[in-house]
Amino acid sequence: MVKILKPNKAVIVLQGRYAGRKAVIVKSFDDGTRDRPYGHCLVAGIKKYPSKVIRKDSAKKTAKKSRVKCFVKLVNYQHLMPTRYTLDVDLKDTVTVDALQTKDKKVATCKTIKQRMEERFKTGKSRWFFTKLRF
Amino acid sequence: MVAAKKTKKTHESINNRLALVMKSGKYTLGYKTVLKSLRSSKGKLIIIANNCPPLRKSEIEYYAMLCKVGVHHYNGNNVDLGTACGKYFRVCCLSIIDPGDSDIIKSMPGDH
Repeated sequence: MVKILKPNKAVIVLQGRYAGRKAVIVKSFDDGTRDRPYGHCLVAGIKKYPSKVIRKDSAKKTAKKSRVKCFVKLVNYQHLMPTRYTLDVDLKDTVTVDALQTKDKKVATCKTIKQRMEERFKTGKSRWFFTKLRF
Repeated sequence: MVAAKKTKKTHESINNRLALVMKSGKYTLGYKTVLKSLRSSKGKLIIIANNCPPLRKSEIEYYAMLCKVGVHHYNGNNVDLGTACGKYFRVCCLSIIDPGDSDIIKSMPGDH
């Protein structure tokens, strides 16, 4: 009886191009909207996971390996698998629904998400989120 | 031998309670609606038949763990669970939304 699909919850996208990718819920629309009359949420996820960084790597190589490619999407609740993990990254201000309207807004939003996610990855916290789900 | 007798009595009481829920309460039958009820935090108790595919069973249990909702593994397969619900079809999993006059929620979540 606890609401599970809340902002900052880590989820796994199940369908579509990004199936199998981990994402974090930014904003949830439980009762849907006019255009989408079903429960859905805005998620920010990882399109391309960062590679494994080893101690031998030079600074240039670690920088290259720690890159994260991100996506923003409105996903139906049915196409998500919630997990017990959360990701406390502050994306609420930059990631909004109108960022999805035009391509350049989307690209700009993905850039800011990328920065935030990369700095989170570099701190070494939330390691589960940045590992690829093997299936 | 004693254990078998005990499960038979509790098994009948689950059936009685379930019948009361069917009569007086709100419920949904079926995997899709069970997940929907869990997502919207409306489900109060989930009952799963014993021949439910293990992946589906684990998925429902995981959702229920996230929602802190009890899961009861029914002692019978989907045919028996359908009969217990008074339906003429098979029911693999069901979600009780409002127990009505029944005390199934208070007495069941102890066992898993």
